[in-house]
Amino acid sequence: MAKYLTRRGDGALIEMTSEEIMSDLEAGTADAADKGKIAPLSKDDLDILLDIFTNPTRFVSVEPGNEVVVTHDIGTLRVMGDQGNSGVGIPLSRVQGIQVHERAFCADTMELGHIDYSFKPVKPVIAMEQQEMENALLVTILPLFYGAMPNLGLYYSPDGPFGNPSDLLPAGKIQESYEAQEGAVEHAIRDMVYVCERLAEVGCDGINFDTTGAAGDTDFKATLHAVEHLKKNTDMCIEVGMAGEFVLGMHGGLEYEGQQLAGLYCHDQVKLVEQAGADIFGPVVNTKPSKNMPWNVARAVTFVKACVEASNIPIHVNMGMGVGGSPIFETPPIDSVSRASKAMVEIAKVDGL
Amino acid sequence: MDKAEFMEKAAQHIIDANEQAAVKLAQEYLDEGLDPVEMIEKGLSEGIRKLGDLFDRGEVFLPHLIIASEAMTAAVKVLEQAMPADQVGKKLAKVVIGTVEGDVHDIGKGIVATMLRVYGFEVIDLGRDVPIATFVEKAKEADADVVGSSALMTTTQVGQKALEQALKDAGIRDKLTTMVGGAATTEHWAAKIGATFWAENAGDTVMKLKEIFS
Repeated sequence: MAKYLTRRGDGALIEMTSEEIMSDLEAGTADAADKGKIAPLSKDDLDILLDIFTNPTRFVSVEPGNEVVVTHDIGTLRVMGDQGNSGVGIPLSRVQGIQVHERAFCADTMELGHIDYSFKPVKPVIAMEQQEMENALLVTILPLFYGAMPNLGLYYSPDGPFGNPSDLLPAGKIQESYEAQEGAVEHAIRDMVYVCERLAEVGCDGINFDTTGAAGDTDFKATLHAVEHLKKNTDMCIEVGMAGEFVLGMHGGLEYEGQQLAGLYCHDQVKLVEQAGADIFGPVVNTKPSKNMPWNVARAVTFVKACVEASNIPIHVNMGMGVGGSPIFETPPIDSVSRASKAMVEIAKVDGL
Repeated sequence: MDKAEFMEKAAQHIIDANEQAAVKLAQEYLDEGLDPVEMIEKGLSEGIRKLGDLFDRGEVFLPHLIIASEAMTAAVKVLEQAMPADQVGKKLAKVVIGTVEGDVHDIGKGIVATMLRVYGFEVIDLGRDVPIATFVEKAKEADADVVGSSALMTTTQVGQKALEQALKDAGIRDKLTTMVGGAATTEHWAAKIGATFWAENAGDTVMKLKEIFS
């Protein structure tokens, strides 16, 4: 029986028969449907996925006319960073990195990001970031975003002024944990708005709130409020990219416009992001390294397809190391990324990657 | 109320995180002269198990889990009055757990630690960014049964391999169960480095440890 090369979620090469692949595809979509209370992929969709995974070529692509917008988060650092942070160790400045992505890698948009990649540490160096943004804008023509993480974790001890919920909750200090998280939300909104408004002053085209929700529902709430403020007070394009398919309930009781944030999956996350005024949504579905790629891709596509159907704004799904069905591997192999990406474009109908 | 109703209500009070009701029910159960161990195993623990499922599905959240674990502790305390002295306060095993050096991702590991406590394990949580030597030192100091390490990143998961070696070098690996977890890890990784097992999430950790220590 013919076997096809594919990968485990940790990147290891494996061989599977078409029956095994289909069985994984069915289980992956069923898992997403069960968790997200959404429709599983249809038989036709699963057949397209099977074709993608049994295609013998090393990498795959979409048909002409079906191309989508492609951009990179923190891509400027990915060129000059070393393997420790998924980079290739080529010594380039950040502006040169953006130029390389624009002129050599054909990125449709790019972003400038600081090495700490969180709004809080950018605040004290915002004047330098403004200058770098202005320099980058002067030598490029693509829409240029500034990217950073809300990263509410930086507002808790030992990095910030509030008690750490990870310490308070196990100690049974529930009320103190709520107060710490609610305090962190206020501080984060203030810092994000401050940084973004300074960048708007130098002509920044857009803001990418990256890895939103990494610290749970507090992270998501702070971001939604910051987006709301920025849309009212600046004309920048705003993208909200998530940390996972599910908003973790570190607080559990936080709401935005009457909607509880904890426990929301992609298709509900996007509705609030849209309501806050964001222009682009970047759903994330995390890869399970112990499952095979067909399982992970089918699961990710199921979540993202429901998100696209629920959304009125463009969906630029996160694809890469450990997300969107690609393996958790420093530099995700092209066979995997191209297959997962094709599936997202042709089945989930995303607007960008 | 018959025994089955007691069990059903006990489980529901835990799911509802209703400490007052759980304590009251435990006292009523004892007043009926029924077996306290049975209520812990078939009533309260069943509630915690169902709650764990709801947590995994994202239908209840961390604070609720903590409050429910306090309700369980309070109810068990009442039931312990009627239990033989050698069974009171008995823990399934002593677990030393932490996130490996260089990795500051703490949330998942914290949830595992909480769930283990809820299920009757004694947990010594070393926190995040923990040096290998500290894992070894604390495991020896506490005479631990289990050492668990978490790594979210491929760049830090090598710390779990170093930990296995350090435990061997210290001469304590053979008496320990070691478990690894975190987003970057797999069961293949656990087998490769010689860990006893890999756990996908908090529920999986509890299930695998209970199989070993119950």
